[in-house]
Amino acid sequence: MCNLLNIEKDPIRVLITGAAGNIGYAIAPMIARGMMLGPDQPMILHLLDIEPASSSLEAVKMELQDSAFPLLKGVIATTDVVEACKDVNIAIMIGGFPRIAGMERKDVMSKNVVIYKAQASALERYASEDCKVLVVANPANTNALILKEFAPSIPEENITCLTRLDHNRALAQLADKLSVPVSSVKNVIIWGNHSSTQYPDTNHATVSTKSGDRPVKELVTDHNWLKSEFITEVQQRGAAILRARKQSSALSAASAACDHIRDWFLGSPKGTWVSMGVCSDGSYGIPPDLVYSFPVICEKGSWKIVQGLNIDAFSREKMDDSARELAEEKELAYSCLNA
Amino acid sequence: MIHPSISSSINTQKKSELHGHTKAADSTLSQKSNIPTSIRFPAIISDLDPMAKEPVRVLVTGAAGQIGYALVPMIARGIMLGADQPVILHMLDIPPAAEALNGVKMELIDAAFPLLKGVVATTDAVEGCTGVNVAVMVGGFPRKEGMERKDVMSKNVSIYKSQAAALEKHAAPNCKVLVVANPANTNALILKEFAPSIPEKNISCLTRLDHNRALGQISERLSVPVSDVKNVIIWGNHSSSQYPDVNHAKVQTTSGEKPVRELVKDDAWLDGEFISTVQQRGAAIIKARKLSSALSAASSACDHIRDWVLGTPEGTFVSMGVYSDGSYNVPSGLIYSFPVTCRNGEWSIVQGLPIDEVSRKKMDLTAEELKEEKDLAYSCLS
Repeated sequence: MCNLLNIEKDPIRVLITGAAGNIGYAIAPMIARGMMLGPDQPMILHLLDIEPASSSLEAVKMELQDSAFPLLKGVIATTDVVEACKDVNIAIMIGGFPRIAGMERKDVMSKNVVIYKAQASALERYASEDCKVLVVANPANTNALILKEFAPSIPEENITCLTRLDHNRALAQLADKLSVPVSSVKNVIIWGNHSSTQYPDTNHATVSTKSGDRPVKELVTDHNWLKSEFITEVQQRGAAILRARKQSSALSAASAACDHIRDWFLGSPKGTWVSMGVCSDGSYGIPPDLVYSFPVICEKGSWKIVQGLNIDAFSREKMDDSARELAEEKELAYSCLNA
Repeated sequence: MIHPSISSSINTQKKSELHGHTKAADSTLSQKSNIPTSIRFPAIISDLDPMAKEPVRVLVTGAAGQIGYALVPMIARGIMLGADQPVILHMLDIPPAAEALNGVKMELIDAAFPLLKGVVATTDAVEGCTGVNVAVMVGGFPRKEGMERKDVMSKNVSIYKSQAAALEKHAAPNCKVLVVANPANTNALILKEFAPSIPEKNISCLTRLDHNRALGQISERLSVPVSDVKNVIIWGNHSSSQYPDVNHAKVQTTSGEKPVRELVKDDAWLDGEFISTVQQRGAAIIKARKLSSALSAASSACDHIRDWVLGTPEGTFVSMGVYSDGSYNVPSGLIYSFPVTCRNGEWSIVQGLPIDEVSRKKMDLTAEELKEEKDLAYSCLS
């Protein structure tokens, strides 16, 4: 094989925080196989976790080496946040303080706010200038907001949170209802907070059929289902997984994180939009200075909110509810910081 | 068009079920059994793309465990069978794991994988095995503290005897089988013995993990990309008696391919520490993780099947545990890891490699261990 004809791209540095946990364990091989950045994009993985997890972290590195992934050009496994953040082009923030039984909302918020404030400075100082950030750890939107606030030199359009999991769950529920392959459903929207106030909106969703793209609303004649059961199903899916597995979603969260970054990085397919938690610019009457999930299209490494979609009264109420919850979370977060 | 090595084994009955995409076809995605007929839309067909391949059915046993959890998203993303090969996953586990298994199914659905055309999650071996074209046997009885080797063997032997019967009766013709659960070679042997109508060439066990580990160790030692290293060989048993052989291994350099021995320049390491590191890597992972390898095992299982089905690159060989035909004076009647190339869905042992004395001894040692395991297995059965 002549190497002159096989010029490899420079590796991209991808940081995973909380890398020794379940989502990290699921996502690392997905990234290494090209599911996040494409089949011809080499990468170097930066794995960060806290000291108590350092043995498990080292084991993840060993297993990645043992897998002989052709695209994986290096692994840095560290508990040092500076080393972890150095020159990274993509940061997947999975690490956070999980809610333990008996914890108050304020306590979870308080712990995470501190973590994300610290992560913010490290990223701002050491990551690559163009670093794209995806916050997965809950409360995802508010963690992302804190990160944005305390890393002012990171362009705010580079700070996002994961609602693609909810988006994919919504597609799957519709596909199941209609007995079609999930790949033929698109343009569902997740508005708002990655929490139980999220609003899975099917008003603009379509299904590809032999006679072209048809609105979901036309094919699912039970509109009541779309406005109630479907919504609750998607909102509470996380809890359903937790009940069945006795552990929270890792496989599907990891996969959705790959989808989120891949579409952001490589562009969303033509005619398709996806859901991302992004810094609101006031579109659709959503207050700015919140990280809110919107429908977006991605092109050339940038996302853009899909504009001009019709919002009915039912949707308006739900979108505002979720925005209100985010405003409350923001206040709570700031009160924790000032305490 | 489906890959020729699999096309002959697609159950033609299943084909029509898939085109109609009826609920009956794959007990699939829905937990709900009463979908109002007003929602059925007959014009929606299962795949609008006339060029789309027929889905391949892949069984994973022990699917509710951690290797299963790592493996199923890899399969669903096309890592095992290629980026254009749709799949239907069959996930089998034991009744105590039914709820967890359903949780995995739910997550697979939630991931909206374009290639995943259906999921069958079941505790019924017949349903699990029906129509499968590929079977990855991860399920088995793990060794618990205090258990004697004979006890582990005894439990696994009965499991693989009954799996054999189910596969033989219900899998698609030409089903390719990969045994992962330990003792992998002997479980595969039992499976072969009790599924006589499955061609013996279709039954294999995983030593690709050891093979990949060996590549990883060399690439670290030489500070070269792992994709530049090839043709290590894992001989024998997937156990600590395996023999990682670098005598034919090569590294791609700017001045062409060079033998690993020449570049490493440290025979003591290659004949000593390197070998024991690879042999004992599994234990090292357990020590660090407190759990056995899942990520790397799953990934290697994908590599094993992918190369088997889609072929090995020109000039490259890989390690697979296969039914010995007596090559290299390895006793026939054992499942033994050999260097193989793959083409048109078939593996063939690389012949004619010179074997030095040191290698001979190690290869014989691991064959002896396999013979002992075989005897132990049969004594458990009698």
